[in-house]
Amino acid sequence: MDVSVTLFGGLRHFLPAGSSFNKCTIKIDDGSRLDALLRLLPIPPEKKFIVIINDQKVSREDYADIAINGDDDVVLLPPIKGG
Amino acid sequence: MAWQKQILRVNLTTGSCDIEPLNMEWAEAYLGSRGLGTKYLYEEMDPAADALSAENKIIFATGPLTGTMASTGGRYTVVTKGALTGAIACSNSGGKFGGELKMAGYDLLIIEGVSEKPVYLHIEDDKVELCDAGEIWGKTVWETEDLLAAKYRDPLMRFAGIGQAGETLCRYACVVNDKHRAAGRSGVGAVMGSKNLKTIAVRGTKGVRAKDPKAFYKIVNEVNARMTDREEMARDGTLAMIDVTNGFGSLPTNNNRSVRFEGANKLNPEAMHTPNENGHTNIVTNGACFGCTIGCGRICKIDPTHFSVKDRPEYHGASGGLEYETAYALGSACGVDDIDAATFAGFICNEYGMDPISLGGTIAAAMELYDIGAIDDSVTGGIKLEFGSAEALCQIAELTGKGEGFGADIAMGSKRLCEKYGHPDLSMSVKGQEFAAYDGRSMQGMGLAYATSNRGACHLRADPYGHDFETTEIAGKAKVVAESQRDVAFLDSSGLCLFPGGCGWGLEDYRTLVDAACESDWNAERMAETGERIWVLEKLYNLKAGLGKKDDTLPKRILEEPADVGTGKGLVCRLDEMLPEYYQLNGWDAEGVPTAETLKRLNLS
Repeated sequence: MDVSVTLFGGLRHFLPAGSSFNKCTIKIDDGSRLDALLRLLPIPPEKKFIVIINDQKVSREDYADIAINGDDDVVLLPPIKGG
Repeated sequence: MAWQKQILRVNLTTGSCDIEPLNMEWAEAYLGSRGLGTKYLYEEMDPAADALSAENKIIFATGPLTGTMASTGGRYTVVTKGALTGAIACSNSGGKFGGELKMAGYDLLIIEGVSEKPVYLHIEDDKVELCDAGEIWGKTVWETEDLLAAKYRDPLMRFAGIGQAGETLCRYACVVNDKHRAAGRSGVGAVMGSKNLKTIAVRGTKGVRAKDPKAFYKIVNEVNARMTDREEMARDGTLAMIDVTNGFGSLPTNNNRSVRFEGANKLNPEAMHTPNENGHTNIVTNGACFGCTIGCGRICKIDPTHFSVKDRPEYHGASGGLEYETAYALGSACGVDDIDAATFAGFICNEYGMDPISLGGTIAAAMELYDIGAIDDSVTGGIKLEFGSAEALCQIAELTGKGEGFGADIAMGSKRLCEKYGHPDLSMSVKGQEFAAYDGRSMQGMGLAYATSNRGACHLRADPYGHDFETTEIAGKAKVVAESQRDVAFLDSSGLCLFPGGCGWGLEDYRTLVDAACESDWNAERMAETGERIWVLEKLYNLKAGLGKKDDTLPKRILEEPADVGTGKGLVCRLDEMLPEYYQLNGWDAEGVPTAETLKRLNLS
């Protein structure tokens, strides 16, 4: 299935080739978990981010347990500060 | 060393300009800049005095690292009683003015009294004079700087002053230096205007000497190597935050009616970097302050065909553009998604000398008053003050800068404006100062930080960002806010900027620089104690000024109306649960008053 993923802030520079400004579509197997989805994004391991699915913050320890659906709105935010 | 060990005291009533030794006992206890300026103000004026009276003083305070080779070492702080808030005001600015003042030989410049007629202050090292400002009074910040630069013909002379907003006592008038950097918040420019002081022109040639220059040079290079995340800040500036808060659901929109703005993608870094339909690109380049190795500043141009500047070539040049806070205040807060209009309103703020956060927050409040029918065209002078109206934003910004028409009402700030028109709850402010660009419902720690900020609502008195983006649960928020308020107080007092902290530096990097530059041992324990002492002294100032627990609060909307979307959907700020723990962690009583034990521990009794 195809899942839409949005990468905000500087994370957008790690979108797969051919993506629009800050969105990409990732093809994953039905029943895949969030950690599998994240492994398909070319984000360097040292880059920190938080994940929001359908406006709900997801805890890091739950990444392997959360099943992804095709209509999920997956957002990755860099934890920047100030401004 | 690193301190110049002398202050310049200017009495506008008598016309005297005296150089005095710096009180080194106070410097050792309060470091510099924000902390040291607050100590002098606390000792020298009655906090209960009116902010716009002759009794108030205005202090331009550099830090020990200002003017050194440390990255971002160009900061200075304007400390005074705030015209907007009636609380302690400590507005920090970058640019090149701070370094120049330090190199002229001064840690602090203390201005007192009131001049009978408009004057400006001219400083060239030890040569100090008050000069007649008759020709520049009534001029904009930009005109003033151009006129004096032409007069003195020294390209390294720096200026910090007010525009017409400061002259007309706009409650959130700011002090602008280097044309588009500003000590922006709390109305420090109105205090300057009340003293009939137009601007300060300074040129310094003395340099700044660290305790051990070779050791300091080595440390500077070591910590610079740890600033590993600067590229994104240089490319996108603080504006990168708008996508983050909009995605998270904490971008105040339409006077905090919502926490997400549909038009955010028209104000974000991509919009700034992408040519519009006319082929015009908003951003020209990035810019850096004195000694900065980040360069987060935005230097931008307005599309010359845009309605705001169509027949006004004076606005076609490049100047300070939108940063995150201005994009929020002059954008989402007012529901405006027109990047050129917001950029224009930002130019007006720099030109006339106004805080864009408070201007935008006040216009947003006025738009809600207009929306609910509390004011109409007869009040606004015919301006259709509707949320989303770029035209109204631009018109009102100019009127406010000049103090004309309905702009005179907007110049009061949102608290006074909403009280005047019968809806005080619609002012999104704390202690009379408008919110910054974060909503305290989805970011509970920021809500607590706003409520307890000594200078009124502010996003730069604490560092709850990481915790807030991790969780909306309130456990741990009070500790994060209380501890980071002390850390920030220390960093602000060093003469450095806070932004290296977002680019790879930790507290230890700042401490190491201070320790290498300044006499005596600045260890981690002393850093923490100094930060806390500064924070508590500001609190004591406010208590003497008449502020108390009743002022450590938030607008009804944030406490009672749940956020509409985002990660905080359905939440209100749980301030009443966090505040008692926050007071306790600080060693304050249930009314928010530091206990005798706390004062004794910090040598404040």
